[in-house]
Amino acid sequence: MSLDPGRSRLGRYLASPAVRALAALVVVFALGLLFNADGAFLKWGTHRDMFRQVAVYGILSCGMTLVIITGGIDLSVGSILALNAVLFSLFSIHLGWPPALVVAACIAAGTALGAVSGGLISRFGIQPFIATLAMMVFARGLAKQVSGGQKVSTAVQQADGAYRYVETPGIFDFLNSKVLGDNIAVVTLVMLICLALSWVVLEKLRWGRYLYAIGGSEEAARLSGVPVGGVKVLAYALSGLFCALAGICQAAQELQGDPEAGTAYELSAIAIVVIGGTSLRGGRGGVGLTLLGILTIGYLEKILSINAVGEQSRLMLTGAIIIIAVLFQKRQS
Amino acid sequence: MKKKALYGMLLTVISISCIILSCGGNADNGDKDTGGADGARWVIGMSQCNLGEPWRVQMNADIRKAAEAHPEIRVVFKDAQNDNLRQRSHVEEFVRTGVDLLIISPKEAAPLTAPVAEAHKKGIPVIVLDRRVLGEDYTVFIGADNRKIGRAAGEWIARRLDGRGRVVELKGLMTSTPGQDRHTGFIEGIRGSALEIIFEADMKWLEPAARQEMESALARFDRIDLVYAHNDPGAHGAWLAARAAGRESDILFVGIDALPQEGQVYVQRGVLAASFEYPTGGAEAIETALKILNGEQVPKEITLPSRVFTPGNIEQGGEWLENR
Repeated sequence: MSLDPGRSRLGRYLASPAVRALAALVVVFALGLLFNADGAFLKWGTHRDMFRQVAVYGILSCGMTLVIITGGIDLSVGSILALNAVLFSLFSIHLGWPPALVVAACIAAGTALGAVSGGLISRFGIQPFIATLAMMVFARGLAKQVSGGQKVSTAVQQADGAYRYVETPGIFDFLNSKVLGDNIAVVTLVMLICLALSWVVLEKLRWGRYLYAIGGSEEAARLSGVPVGGVKVLAYALSGLFCALAGICQAAQELQGDPEAGTAYELSAIAIVVIGGTSLRGGRGGVGLTLLGILTIGYLEKILSINAVGEQSRLMLTGAIIIIAVLFQKRQS
Repeated sequence: MKKKALYGMLLTVISISCIILSCGGNADNGDKDTGGADGARWVIGMSQCNLGEPWRVQMNADIRKAAEAHPEIRVVFKDAQNDNLRQRSHVEEFVRTGVDLLIISPKEAAPLTAPVAEAHKKGIPVIVLDRRVLGEDYTVFIGADNRKIGRAAGEWIARRLDGRGRVVELKGLMTSTPGQDRHTGFIEGIRGSALEIIFEADMKWLEPAARQEMESALARFDRIDLVYAHNDPGAHGAWLAARAAGRESDILFVGIDALPQEGQVYVQRGVLAASFEYPTGGAEAIETALKILNGEQVPKEITLPSRVFTPGNIEQGGEWLENR
């Protein structure tokens, strides 16, 4: 963004990424009002459902934002999500562990895998694209290995091959429920907490400033004493942590751990971050922008869905609108 | 730099050996043997197109279970991971290693017709399972008929709703033949009734997508009588959406596939009003294979019968659909 001294304050304001991202959201929202599917878009329930539906993507895009700000990318989020969905179901349904232990174990697994990606990138200098691509394949394999290729559900196979149905553990029902007078899904709250956590990391902690510094110029950051390697590991580890939470939310909403879950979710997460206006080149962006991206993608999907738009048109429209939103973001007046 | 490369190589070697070692102890995924020890008289090659779907995992499990009862055969499994060319080379590998019989569930007809024909011409009997290849160069085709199952579902639904009602159809991927056939059959089945399809969407066989589409249907329509989903996860996703809206008891849910750990359990729990079985044919494939290996004649085509599971008949193992 050029800081032209002759330009009015309003002009500068309009050129800020936040305003541009907001404009894209307003356009999508207006489309919803226009094509409201016999008033379905005007009901509160539709918006509440949108917030539920977008929660998993939103949680993933928190970690993606941190990684992209360092100038990296994390392709493994969908697979790590699947692994954690499987682990969460396995630990809580089949092994009957207490919820706190299950969540802790999942978070540990997700964070560890993220840290391994980060370690490969910082210790061995592997490109983020390649390191996380490898992790994407590896974690998907691990998810299938752990689950034996089957969905881990409340139908537990007995020694004689028959299936016995066990009750859904309470934590599934809790995460799958709505609170505050049925007005907000618990998974939406989890997403909001993740957004808040990312905001604190980026805006309030020294390590957050380091993430921007590395994304801006890794060499300059190194010369000014930023522990570049450690910060990168932290970014990918946090992304892994968010994947674990997303996996837990995914499993809770499906009442099962599907090793195939989350396929291509990394692409949605990247689209959300980029539409928000965080630069893929690193160094610029923020979690507030990501929230706007989440809402834009969420409303877009919801509007196409309530209007029962066919799959072909849906894919084409989504592609076109992503491009328009990104162009919106790029145009400099 | 050299040290780094050395580290990297060491790490790779260690991790690959770990994976191979850990796979050795596992009975399921990947290219694995089963059945009796080396006393087996015949080796059967099983080329599966994709183990990413529970239904196909079940097919392999059915084959494995049926084969375990016969120590004279040994089955070698290969998973093509949804890749035509990989499956092609699996078939070629089986031919080269000289299996006595080949079972293949092909990903697509056109790319796999030639390798299957080649194996057949070399004198290896070939059982084609579930999806077809082109031409006649195979021994027997075993499969169920999606269109018939869709039609049976349509007729059952029309009866269940007394010929009138508002139905949501959640389709499988409409670019896939099972999705198209389950839709066409359904339309044939409800023809002549006053059933109205008020909302239809492509949920691509995926449960989260089905839930999302059902939420939209619920937002638009205050009265929905029944949801017909092209697979059980789709019906379950729709039920989850309805339950979240507190409307699950006003709506009936019908799915297809009736896997023992999935659709049948949903029926047992009263989540689904019915699930229509789409049989894997795994057990029938082994049965047919033994006949071929023992020199018996088999028909060129075997159409698998299907069952409907409802809360009323699940304890008796479902009810066979009449052959039409």
